[in-house]
Amino acid sequence: MPALFSEGFLLGLSTGFYCLASCLPLLAPYMMAEGRVAWKFNFFIFLEFTGGRFAAYMLFALLATLAGKAGNFALPHWALPGGMLACGLLMTALAAFRVSGFSICLLKQNLDPFFRRLPMALGFVTGISICPPFAAGFLRLMELADVLKGFAYFGGFFSATSLFISPVLLGTPWIGQKANEIGRLTLLLAGIWYVVLGLQGLL
Amino acid sequence: MKALAWLKEISGEKAAAAGVFAALVFIPVFIFSGRLAAREISRYYALAWSLFAAGTAFAISCTGRVSFYRRLFFSVSALAFLFHFKLGLVNNIFWPASFKAAPFCHIAMAPYFLGYLYQQYLAFMSGGWKLWGPLTLGAAWLFVTLAIGRGWCSWACFYGGIDDGLSAVARRPLIKFGGWVFKLRDLPAALLVFLLLASLAYMLPVYCLWLCPFKLTEGFMDGETSVRRVQYALMLFALAALVIGPLLTKKRIFCSFLCPFAAWQAFWGRLNPFRITADQGKCTGCMNCARSCPMTAIKDGPGGKAAITAYCNLCGQCLGACPQGGISYTVFGAAFPEAGGILGRLFSAGYLFVFSALTLGAVFSSLWAPAAIRDAVKLILR
Repeated sequence: MPALFSEGFLLGLSTGFYCLASCLPLLAPYMMAEGRVAWKFNFFIFLEFTGGRFAAYMLFALLATLAGKAGNFALPHWALPGGMLACGLLMTALAAFRVSGFSICLLKQNLDPFFRRLPMALGFVTGISICPPFAAGFLRLMELADVLKGFAYFGGFFSATSLFISPVLLGTPWIGQKANEIGRLTLLLAGIWYVVLGLQGLL
Repeated sequence: MKALAWLKEISGEKAAAAGVFAALVFIPVFIFSGRLAAREISRYYALAWSLFAAGTAFAISCTGRVSFYRRLFFSVSALAFLFHFKLGLVNNIFWPASFKAAPFCHIAMAPYFLGYLYQQYLAFMSGGWKLWGPLTLGAAWLFVTLAIGRGWCSWACFYGGIDDGLSAVARRPLIKFGGWVFKLRDLPAALLVFLLLASLAYMLPVYCLWLCPFKLTEGFMDGETSVRRVQYALMLFALAALVIGPLLTKKRIFCSFLCPFAAWQAFWGRLNPFRITADQGKCTGCMNCARSCPMTAIKDGPGGKAAITAYCNLCGQCLGACPQGGISYTVFGAAFPEAGGILGRLFSAGYLFVFSALTLGAVFSSLWAPAAIRDAVKLILR
């Protein structure tokens, strides 16, 4: 088991930059939009986001091993664009409903901040937006076809890729109201971009 | 006759100061543009361009109408770019070496900065490290930022000249903006952040591929029909923002809402000491300045008084719009003490800025303007 954890960890270390490049267009605008000057607050958002990603990875570990047990060694063709579309729709919704000035928006009402921020959901849809290193790990799990081994392998992969993503927190103590506004608009643009890419893949 | 009457009105000291100012602009512009232009064409074309820049300086100094003559110079420079560079590309369309002549686009520089740091990726091919190499580009950008900061967007940028010139064509705006427009004023900054991240993620010149209106005439289009259609749609949208938007609104729509370099320069422009400052004591809250600002950079501030935002690019349009004369160029918000005499007249923040901006704009546009004059002469004599 430790050997598989190390294998996943090394895959994450060697391909971490690609994970970072895939995650940055989501995570950076989100942190800009929702972050505060308080570092502790931003760290909590980051933890929630990471938790969502972890849940997605574990779900995929389970699905991959089940697929492997069933002898199905191919990813469905709609998985990547479908993940991107879900991700883009969530980002667009989060941004569109939070851009100040849109008086018709429903989520501008006095809802609990947790339901307006949804960092865990964003982390989850980021996790299911399959990037090339993730797909490589996914195929390895299909070959292993063992649930516990799959969790260990993806646990290692998740830990290593999180190391690459965590420096995003460093810039957040300088986030002010202006950066929040810019972040929301960026989140909207990035969301539309993912929606277009997802739809293009599906159609 | 009007011109004669105007010349008679100019006092001796005013004319002398304007002459000195014009000479101060002419000398560096002719030296640098002569060197740049002489690589390929006669120095006489550089001389013609330098005289035009000096004439602009003279007119600004004599009349005090900074933005009117700046806009004339700026628009002519942008038209010269379109005339020479784009027509040149059409003529050399089957000649691969023409890539060497492609100037590095400053708008493309900002959104690919992270890509450059990671993989030394640049959107344009370079003819060598000296010409458009990263070091020279970085040094040139730093120099421009320290010399004129955000003024680049109103004095030197070849996109801005088109937008700015067209914003002055209509007498009255057909479409007027309300206060809601400030909700979208951060769009270029958002676009810049998005382009920085997306260009890094995909290692592609995302802005050039999807939003540059100038790329409509080039070979950047995707092989797949559906993708190509989206590219055309977005580029046409950007072109409409550049051409139709200013005609309808009298605002610089492309520069204010779509240009990522404007946001980049608005951020780094703080390094530059020149500012446009509204005297809060004189401000009556009439907001004439906000209505006249083509960049939508002045908003209703605390106490109903004008607040100049970081997006101001020092075009000077608001100087004449304020009925109280309360808006002026300053250095970090402070005006210089007034001095008499010919040289004393020139010792002000306004003249220092106009000198820097006009000289830099004229030298930069020497990369294409003298050649455009030659193209025009050849076209007439053909």
